[in-house]
Amino acid sequence: MIGQDKLSHLPDRFPFSCQWEITCRCNLHCVMCYTDCFNRPDAIRQELATAEILRIMDELAEAGTLELCLTGGEPLARPDFFQLYEHAIRCGFLVTVFSNGTLITETHANRFAALRPHRMEISLHGMTRETFERITQGQGSYDRCLQAIGLLLDRQIPLVLKSTAMTLNRQEILDVKRYVEALGMVRYKLGEEMRPELDGGAGPFQYALSEQGLADLNRQDSDLQRDACRRDSLEPPPCRSGMHSFHIDAYGRLQLCSGNRRQSYDLRKGSFRNGFYEALPTFACDWKVTHEPALIQPTLHHA
Amino acid sequence: MTPTAIYTKHPDYVQRDVAGECILVPIRRTLTEANSIYVLNETGAALWNRIDGQRTAQDIVTDFCNEYEVATDQLAKDFTLLLDDLLSIQAVEEMAR
Repeated sequence: MIGQDKLSHLPDRFPFSCQWEITCRCNLHCVMCYTDCFNRPDAIRQELATAEILRIMDELAEAGTLELCLTGGEPLARPDFFQLYEHAIRCGFLVTVFSNGTLITETHANRFAALRPHRMEISLHGMTRETFERITQGQGSYDRCLQAIGLLLDRQIPLVLKSTAMTLNRQEILDVKRYVEALGMVRYKLGEEMRPELDGGAGPFQYALSEQGLADLNRQDSDLQRDACRRDSLEPPPCRSGMHSFHIDAYGRLQLCSGNRRQSYDLRKGSFRNGFYEALPTFACDWKVTHEPALIQPTLHHA
Repeated sequence: MTPTAIYTKHPDYVQRDVAGECILVPIRRTLTEANSIYVLNETGAALWNRIDGQRTAQDIVTDFCNEYEVATDQLAKDFTLLLDDLLSIQAVEEMAR
């Protein structure tokens, strides 16, 4: 028997890793959020019902998916979140939860401790209440987020804290990083990417740092600078979306990835296997290298 | 391996078939094993599938040898190693001897 982090040999196309945006609802309205445009009652009514999510989850398990990331919106804003989460754990997925942390109570932390996630990732936007709540637009969210971090740490839940670098918090990013480092067993991730809203709105970009702003920020910290250098110096790896990973949105639409939702396969109507193996390979991606067959293919004759 | 021992699978492990590999996922993890999964080779998976809380270890070895052409002694050694591993991660429990 071998203990290992991941499987080493996978077929070229295998549904190993799923990111599932189980809802766009959220108790906060972060200024850079790309899903908040659908955080409204009429859109929420269209989201997958509990039974639909459980059925699709079972299909993923049957197909061999191992990594399952539950994200949103705010996943815990779904009243049935723990029913979904605990089902996922009992199916044997390695479950990661992306959360803003502010809805996590002691009872929730105990449930996470009883059936542990592979990892929890919580957004920590700043180290002052003023900055944090200017970003989340939610009064009291700063204290609740820090409280959740404490509750999860007390229970030794594997934790990643992350920030998106923006004009609003660039002065506090290094403070956040130092705070995370002082926590010990917690990783820190800094994101730089801003995305358009799902309805096409460009609101988040007004808070984006310029290239120079990002460079100035990264220069202030050796870890950030090293990561930035690595990103800049390497050719981006070929996109594997749709090969080993895939995305499902809040309405049950199977897509190549969270950043490419141009084409979808409706999991309410068709099976996951059909969607992954028949539909996804036909979806377009600007980042994929295509291997077009030569137009002229001479026939060889051996004499 | 105690030939008369009966082993049962612990419910805190979920068996998954991922790309043809038999893996065991602990669902009540400690921090140190938070990222660990356990992969069984083909023989290990076949033996694991025979652990049912009813048959003795010797029954399982006999059953396996009837189905596959393997030397009983070697299989008993392999099963002993596997059981030691499974007991060490608490994926199985000894019920009776």
